[in-house]
Amino acid sequence: MDNTLYVGLSRQNVLQRALDIAANNIANQDTVGFKVEELTDRTDTIAPPRFTSNLSPVNYVLDSSVARDFGQGELSQTGNPMDMALQGPGFFTVQTANGPRYTRDGRFTLDAQSQIVDQKGEPVLSTAGTPIVVDPQKGPVTIAKDGSVSQSANGQSSQIAKIGVVQFANLSALSKQGSNQYLETSGQTAVPVTNAKMMQGWVEHSNVNPVKEVTSLISISRAYDRMQDIMSSTQDLSSKAVDALGQLQQ
Amino acid sequence: MRALNIAATGMAAQETNVDVISNNIANMNTIGYKRQEANFEDLLYEDVKRPGAQSSDQGTVIPTGIQIGAGVQTASIYRITLQGSLTNTGNQLDLAINNGGYFQVLLPSGEYAYTRAGNFSLNDVGTLVTSDGYPVYPQITIPQTATQVSISTSGQVQVTLPGQAATSQVGQLQLANFANPAGLEAIGSNLFLVSGASGPAVTGVPASSGFGTIQQGFTEASNVDSVTEISNLIIAQRAYEMNSKVITTADQMLQSTNQMKS
Repeated sequence: MDNTLYVGLSRQNVLQRALDIAANNIANQDTVGFKVEELTDRTDTIAPPRFTSNLSPVNYVLDSSVARDFGQGELSQTGNPMDMALQGPGFFTVQTANGPRYTRDGRFTLDAQSQIVDQKGEPVLSTAGTPIVVDPQKGPVTIAKDGSVSQSANGQSSQIAKIGVVQFANLSALSKQGSNQYLETSGQTAVPVTNAKMMQGWVEHSNVNPVKEVTSLISISRAYDRMQDIMSSTQDLSSKAVDALGQLQQ
Repeated sequence: MRALNIAATGMAAQETNVDVISNNIANMNTIGYKRQEANFEDLLYEDVKRPGAQSSDQGTVIPTGIQIGAGVQTASIYRITLQGSLTNTGNQLDLAINNGGYFQVLLPSGEYAYTRAGNFSLNDVGTLVTSDGYPVYPQITIPQTATQVSISTSGQVQVTLPGQAATSQVGQLQLANFANPAGLEAIGSNLFLVSGASGPAVTGVPASSGFGTIQQGFTEASNVDSVTEISNLIIAQRAYEMNSKVITTADQMLQSTNQMKS
C-alpha cells in the first residue's frame, strides 16, 4: 500500500521541479539570447520493500536532466549599432574575472576605454582572443556579417578586428551561470566558427514559446492533481480496509 | 516551490519594462529625447545535478545536469542614441545636431552638462541659453542691435548689424562627444552629465571628424517610435499575465496538497 504513496510523491516532486523550470522559462521570455529548458524524467526501477519474486518491481519517477533547446531565437531590429545577433550556431566569448564565458546575448556597448563590452562591462573577445578597441575619433563602427569590425576615417575604411564566435561539440556540457552566460564544464575546447553570421543592429530574443509554456503549466498542474487523486484514493482504500478488518464478525 | 518566487521576479521585470516604455511614450514629443530600453538577464542557477560531475569511479561524467534557474532581473536600462528626425521650426535660435555630438551647457554649479536639445533662446544680456536659462558653452552673446543671426553647419555664429553689408562673426559653437554616449548620466531637463561609463568629453567644432553638423532653424525630435512602443507595451502586458498564470498554477498545486486527507 505504501508504495503507491511513495511513487505518487516521487512524481509530485518531479512535477514541482518541472514547474520551477517552466516558471523560469516564462520569467525569461524577454531575456535576449535566453534558451528554453525542459526537465526530462525517467523511471527508476527499485524493488519494493516487501519484494517477492512473483511481484513486479516498483517504478519511481526521477528527474534525469535538463534538456536545453539551443535553437535560433527570433531576431528583431533595434537600430542600436552595437547590438549584434548571431544567426545560426555559436557563441560570443566575453572575458570575465573568472575566465571566459560564452553568451548569445549580443547587446554590446562601448566602455569609457572604447572597448566593445557586454552589459556588465566585460570585454567581448576577437578571433585572436583579445578585447576589441575602437577609435572614438573615427567614424561609426561597422560590423560586417562575418564579424569584421571596421571604422572609416577620411573616406578610408580600415578593419580593426573580427568578433570571435565559437562552438562546442557537446553543448550539454555548458552550464548556465546567470547573466545570460554559459560556462564550459567538461574541458572541451571552444572551436572557432569560421562561417559565423551575425547582424548589426539586431538582437536575438529568447526562443521561449509562450503558448507551449502555458500549455505545459496546465499539464503540470493536471498531472499533479491526478497524482493527488490517486494518493487520496489509496488512502481511502487503506482506511476502508482497516475499518472492514477491524469489525468483529458476529 | 521556487516557481512562486521565479514568477514574482518575472512580474517585477515586466513592471520595470512597462515603466521604461511609459517614460518613452511620455517623452515622445521631448526635443532631443533618446528612447530607453530595459535589458533583462537570467538570475543564478541552482545546480541540482552539475553537468560534468563524476558519476562513478570509472570516470564517467553526468552528460547533462539539472540546473534550475532563479528567474530574471533587469541587467540595464540603456539609451538608444540613434538620431531623431529633424523638425523645421523656423526659429533662428533652434539648433539641431545632425549625427554625433552634444551641446555643452554650463550649469549654475560650475559643472558642464551635455544636451541634444537645441531649442535655445537669448537671456536679458543677449547670451545664448537653454530653456532653463543655463548658458551654452563657449558663451555666445548676440548684440542687441543685430537684425539677423545665422549659424553655419560648422557652428560659426554670424550676425547682421544695421548699416553693415558684411556679417560679423560673434562666436563659434563647440560640440562634445564621448566614447560611449549611452553611458552618460541623465539628470532630467534633457541634460546629461559625464560618467565613468561614458568616458571623458572630447570637444571639437561641428562638421569636423567625429562630430555632426549644425542645422539652424531645426530641432531634433525624440527617436521614440510610437508603434514600437505600443507593441512593446502589449508584449510586456502579456508576459506579465503569463507570469501571474505561473503563480496561479503553483498555488493550485499547493492547494491540492493541502487538501489531502490525513
